[in-house]
Amino acid sequence: MKIKRFPGGLHPPEHKSTAARAIEPCSLPDELVIPLAQHIGAPAEPCVVIGDTVAKGQVIAQPRGFVSVPIHASSSGVVTAVEPRLHPMGRPLPAIVIKPDGRDAWPDGLEGGMNPLLVDPLTLPPSRLRDMVRNAGVVGLGGATFPTHVKLSPPGGKKINTLILNGVECEPYLTADHRLMLEEPERILAGIDILRRILGVERVCIGIEENKPDAIAVMRDACAQRDIEVIALKVMYPQGAEKQLIFAVTGRQTPSGGLPMDVGVVVQNVGTAAAVADAIIHGRPLVERIATITGPALVEPKNLRIRIGTSLRHLVAECGGLREEVVKVIMGGPMMGHTQLSLDVPAIRGTSGLLLLDKNAVATRSEGPCIRCARCVSVCPARLLPTTISAYARRDMIAEAERFNALDCIECGCCAYTCPARIPLVQSIRQVKGAILAKRRLS
Amino acid sequence: MLEAILSLGGVGFCAALALGFAAQKFAVEVDAREAAILEVLPGANCGACGFPGCGGYARAVASGAVAPELCPPGGPETVARIARIIGVAAIAVDPQVAVVICQGDQQRATEKYRYLGISDCRAAQKLADGPKTCPGGCLGLGTCAAICPFGAITMTDQHLAVIDRDKCVGCRKCVEPCPRQVIKMTPRSVSVHVLCNSHDKGALVRRYCQVGCIACQLCKKAAPEAYVIEDFLARVDYRHAVKPTAGVEVAIDKCPTHCIRDDNPPPAPVPDEKPAPQAA
Amino acid sequence: MTELVLILISAIFVNNFVLARFLGICPFMGVSKKVETAVGMGMAVAFVMTVATVVTWFLQYFILQPLDIEYLQTIVFILVIAALVQLVEMVIQKVSPVLYQSLGIFLPLITTNCAVLGLAVLNIQKEYTFLEGIFFAIGAAAGFTLAMVLFAGLRERIDLCPVPRSFRGTAIAMVTAGLLSLAFMGFAGMVKG
Repeated sequence: MKIKRFPGGLHPPEHKSTAARAIEPCSLPDELVIPLAQHIGAPAEPCVVIGDTVAKGQVIAQPRGFVSVPIHASSSGVVTAVEPRLHPMGRPLPAIVIKPDGRDAWPDGLEGGMNPLLVDPLTLPPSRLRDMVRNAGVVGLGGATFPTHVKLSPPGGKKINTLILNGVECEPYLTADHRLMLEEPERILAGIDILRRILGVERVCIGIEENKPDAIAVMRDACAQRDIEVIALKVMYPQGAEKQLIFAVTGRQTPSGGLPMDVGVVVQNVGTAAAVADAIIHGRPLVERIATITGPALVEPKNLRIRIGTSLRHLVAECGGLREEVVKVIMGGPMMGHTQLSLDVPAIRGTSGLLLLDKNAVATRSEGPCIRCARCVSVCPARLLPTTISAYARRDMIAEAERFNALDCIECGCCAYTCPARIPLVQSIRQVKGAILAKRRLS
Repeated sequence: MLEAILSLGGVGFCAALALGFAAQKFAVEVDAREAAILEVLPGANCGACGFPGCGGYARAVASGAVAPELCPPGGPETVARIARIIGVAAIAVDPQVAVVICQGDQQRATEKYRYLGISDCRAAQKLADGPKTCPGGCLGLGTCAAICPFGAITMTDQHLAVIDRDKCVGCRKCVEPCPRQVIKMTPRSVSVHVLCNSHDKGALVRRYCQVGCIACQLCKKAAPEAYVIEDFLARVDYRHAVKPTAGVEVAIDKCPTHCIRDDNPPPAPVPDEKPAPQAA
Repeated sequence: MTELVLILISAIFVNNFVLARFLGICPFMGVSKKVETAVGMGMAVAFVMTVATVVTWFLQYFILQPLDIEYLQTIVFILVIAALVQLVEMVIQKVSPVLYQSLGIFLPLITTNCAVLGLAVLNIQKEYTFLEGIFFAIGAAAGFTLAMVLFAGLRERIDLCPVPRSFRGTAIAMVTAGLLSLAFMGFAGMVKG
């Protein structure tokens, strides 16, 4: 069978050394810093004050507006501060600080979650399920943290007929989704059943990259009784990007400026599916996630089940500390992750991994002139001309950049990665995208 | 000979007839004042007036849609001449000049991280609010220098924007693009400025910059009339711009961090000290 | 028929007015920053060239030659071309103010454009018939527009390149024009003429 893929892309060294390591729990830190902005959309509004005692899973911040989700305490303890703290985005942003009491207790002596569901979830109406997903604070766990309930509420007129589960994990180093699929396929499948009920779709596919044959086998096994296709995909970054995944799996092209729902598809990360299952079956809100803590500067890279709000420093200590001086700290994968200013920032819902690079892994060569080799053009999965858009961007020629469809850039980083002149193409394209949007807002 | 004169004259006459006919047939109403105004404008097409080029502005003024004093590069003379053309009394414009109120270059101010991206302050500012530790300091990547239509802004070797007050015409083009608002418009008559843009408290400023204002009040004590201190940052009180406030220079030597400077003549470089300790 | 096509091809490529005969360099350098204005300029020149050829052909064979005053050729042609350009300017200003604005100062430049005068004079020198003359003019105008558009396209791309400081602006434009001309030299010898 022909292996499915998308045009463009590249295959950076995988470095997935943690693929064989089982998910381990992470110890309770001394302090949990839970930022109010952990999702795309309006930040949540705190509903606790300093001195309040909170239980694990208790709502500590309420959503503001439709594109927003509540935030929950990730362990039981006392609120010690509601103040701006350094956020993974690089600046101090409002956060709720909790000092855990060590009991890690759910409210009312319950175990493993709040209000466990006593009926079959598939008998509940979709709107009820959608509300439960929202109240549990579920967001896209692939890293983009887009509120899941929004994706599950397609506007009238848009017919969704395919649900794609994203188990691609194409970023180098990261193995969190891989381990989740190996160890807890039943959680994912329970989540898929619920998502399918909410969306009312017939076709469900799980896309997994070929380099995870064990995960493909496990998922095929688990899906044997159900009407779910497990599709092996070519190992090619960014196979896990939404539009590229849709093209590889269904052959449908999302139109320029369009959304997956325009071609009748909803894509959810496998981790998100598991979180949906927890939220509905166990009433367990999104207070923890699986993340890969890895990198050459680390003594013992691991896959950890981390509480939201745990500081990166604690995670590093949990993995045996640093082997040598860390030069670059990246939250997320190396291609699209965010570089961190310090280890004193909390892990948030979108933290799919933490990467600690030493000096050998970080290139600091400054950029040279473009030699027009067009490597960026051949790898661009969105089929753009990165070098041209970037040149326009640098000269503030916004209208020209717009004409070359700068807004269709998915910022996957392939162009900058492959550029032999080390031109920061993505950064300049991102800059001009901002300028184009600002101009559109004005007019 | 006669044929030559007659034929040449005839051809000329025919052409004249044709042109005369066309002038009537294709006459376009042109405001004579528009051309006259265009004549007196500087012709730099800098856009400081908010119109695309001098031609656009000349048309707008001639049609009476806008006031004649929107051309900062032209200065008061141009305004007066435009006013004479369109027959309104000119309003006195206060000539202004842009100043980068920061001296924290790479040697004197610390950075949070090493920036390797594109040479554009606006892009750098998006990454964790820019590499400079100081929240208001000049990022030194030259966005303003690239924008200045008059070549008045140069970048020092140590990555700091410096504006030449002789070349600056006060067009304000550099003010808005600066992501840290470190470029301020000041009256041309005043050449003494407090070159700092950090509203942090003194102790914090000292940690990341040798030449930052620490709001020690010494300048205010030396010349109470001339300085205001707001939010832990001193600045020259420009309200007295028409007549420079007496005593504004007195404070220059008093400033412990050398952040009050007289731009005219250009200041001598700050005596080099040990680099400030790295911010924790 | 073959003769006419040859004249056309020769005027466009082999003896391109701008790149091989080096006539009309002024608008070639001046109005070639953007492809759009280059096209507008090319069209204006094409119109003037064609009309000028017709008028000068009649002047030459019906006034100057019969009266035996060919020595007045240059001055008469200049007079006629200047008047024509003035006419075109008036018409454009009325009919298409946008084009008028984008051409701006360069419209009067056509007046003294040596390409137009050169065309008229060459037309007489080569003793073309009326029809051949028209084809010659159309070819010359097409060649002029082609050169303008090619060059404007190149300059738009050069704008995106990191040009060494001392070469920026007109300097690199001159070098580019030289290279483009060199490229057109490749057509030399294809057609006699």
